[in-house]
Amino acid sequence: MIQLLAWSWLFTLPGLVLTAFGVPSGRKNAGYASLPGPIITLIVAVIALVGGGSFSVGFENWLPFLPDGAFRSLADPLSALMLAILGFVASLVYVYSLGYMADDPDKRRFFVYLDLFVATMALLVLAGNLAVLLIGWTGVGISSFLLISFWRDRPGTLGAGLQALAANAVGDGALLLAASIVPLGCGPLVTLGSPQCTTGFGGAEFLALLLFVAAAAKSAQGPLYFWLPNAMAGPTPISALIHAATMVAAGVYLLVRTHALLALAPEVSLWVAVIGVATALGASVASLFQSNFKKGIAYSTVAQLGYMFAGVGVGAPFAGLFHLFTHASFKALLFLAAGIVIHGAGGREALRDLRGLGRSFPFSRWGFLIGSLALIGTPLITAGSFSKDAIIDVAIANQPVLGWLLLGGVILTGAYIGRLFAMVYLLPADDPHAIHHDPEAERPMNWSLVPLMAGAIVLGWLGGWLSGVLAGPLDGVEPLPPLLNFTGGLAFILGAIGFLGVAWYVQRPRVEPAAAPAETSYRPDAWVRAIADAGYAAAVGFSRAQSGLLARYAFGSIVAVAVVVLLRVSLR
Amino acid sequence: MNAESLVLGTSLGLFAIGAAGALLHRHPVAMLMAIEVMLNAANLLIVLGARTRGGADAEAAALIVLVLSAAEAVIGLALALALFRRKPVPDVDDAVELRG
Repeated sequence: MIQLLAWSWLFTLPGLVLTAFGVPSGRKNAGYASLPGPIITLIVAVIALVGGGSFSVGFENWLPFLPDGAFRSLADPLSALMLAILGFVASLVYVYSLGYMADDPDKRRFFVYLDLFVATMALLVLAGNLAVLLIGWTGVGISSFLLISFWRDRPGTLGAGLQALAANAVGDGALLLAASIVPLGCGPLVTLGSPQCTTGFGGAEFLALLLFVAAAAKSAQGPLYFWLPNAMAGPTPISALIHAATMVAAGVYLLVRTHALLALAPEVSLWVAVIGVATALGASVASLFQSNFKKGIAYSTVAQLGYMFAGVGVGAPFAGLFHLFTHASFKALLFLAAGIVIHGAGGREALRDLRGLGRSFPFSRWGFLIGSLALIGTPLITAGSFSKDAIIDVAIANQPVLGWLLLGGVILTGAYIGRLFAMVYLLPADDPHAIHHDPEAERPMNWSLVPLMAGAIVLGWLGGWLSGVLAGPLDGVEPLPPLLNFTGGLAFILGAIGFLGVAWYVQRPRVEPAAAPAETSYRPDAWVRAIADAGYAAAVGFSRAQSGLLARYAFGSIVAVAVVVLLRVSLR
Repeated sequence: MNAESLVLGTSLGLFAIGAAGALLHRHPVAMLMAIEVMLNAANLLIVLGARTRGGADAEAAALIVLVLSAAEAVIGLALALALFRRKPVPDVDDAVELRG
């Protein structure tokens, strides 16, 4: 099975081709051909994860301009775990999308993009060297852009997609630089820390810094956070799959994969931890002030990714990976639950419009509640507590200041998710008739929540087993804290205080309704806009050359050829 | 004047005629014809090279150019047809906007 897994990035491509060429025909049936891909990925990945072992595929000299230009893919328990997460969430998102996108005229295009995303994400996870990683890395960035801008006629979606593309380009550049300084013969990514790999320009410190920049861009950390909240302009299933569960976690995956290199660069590790903690706290505060339901959850994703970064930075790569694993399940649950309400409200996302509307969607309400409890880290009954406590525990042991900040941040986590839950699911609805139920479309959406609910509850118990399976590929893992430890209990109490306090505050009786929140927009910060405006001005200048007049183009190319020929003759 | 320079001159002349035609015409079919003339001029040069140097590789390249120019004409004629549908007297400069 592990041999088959090494090729699993091909699994969704037949579905892509069939869907693109209209099989099965009819808009109602669009997307069914794509369904088997992620399900097969999930099954193969789980069997390979249980079976263990590793297998690599290599073709030498595939990209001759890079020092190590071989095509190398590596299937081991770590990539099997990531593919299992990808297959699990993707299968449910596919089913969910059959309902969510049922009325969309471009449903077929949507599934084609989804297949492209799953294929490139699988290639990213299976990468055995930086060249292949770079292809997957860029590929998921492009699919992310295509899906954020999926509704290209709606205002703001194209801009939001281009922001994501711009932020990802920073990471791609860093990764390309890393791929061009790592010498030949470094083997898989896990061994990037070995002595012969760090002899390139700048040594281990510089290489670790490049990988950190790439990971921060993909995972929306530090100053590169801005694209992820705006990426919510895309359809909700995309927010769940790409911008919560899988693609944004690729940065964490990369750092976990190369943690041996990070260990050689303690200053960079410290920066990873500091940026992670700062992002976690800042994004938690930002989430409290969002007027858009999905952007509120998106800032929560940024914050949780910050927790994972902090875990990797303080020397607990397994805890970070474990949190990635549980977070994928409960954050996808939160997004898909939110999507049911948004779908029922006709695509409106502003909290003001959704006030109390969640009360009439029981699946969504229970799903969001379970997801919130897992996010806060309710001990024993939800998965989030196992992994988040592991991060906080190691952080307090290794970097006490950062650890206590992370622990304190849990109160913010409880506060922002409590605010969202209370506003959408607890408050009485202003206008209960603002929703329309469509049982045909809701059935796949509702049922796809159930496995995620189960995952958000039980996946935490797999921690002990996973640490055994991953000890090999990660070259030893740090031990998990015991169940019901002191910091975990303290974190839960803080989170519960935040959740209940804010939920009560939102629900408190009042005479005058609060001032209407500002109109939701996907407008970025001023400094991002300044950079974008400069780029736009340059693009306008260059686009003058693209007049569309064929004669001008032909004249230009003939003149250019003549110049080249004359130069060649005169330099002879 | 030997045969090589005669063929070379013919090729250059044909290319110049084709280039001028492609630059000056605005009717898509006329432009396609001009492009074919340019391709044939280049092909003539390739065959001349094959003759003087010996060996079949350049002649194979000339055959590939023939096939490619046929394929290119198919796409070009399809574009021309799409323009005909919009206007009875098509003009490539009307199609400067991609959308629609």
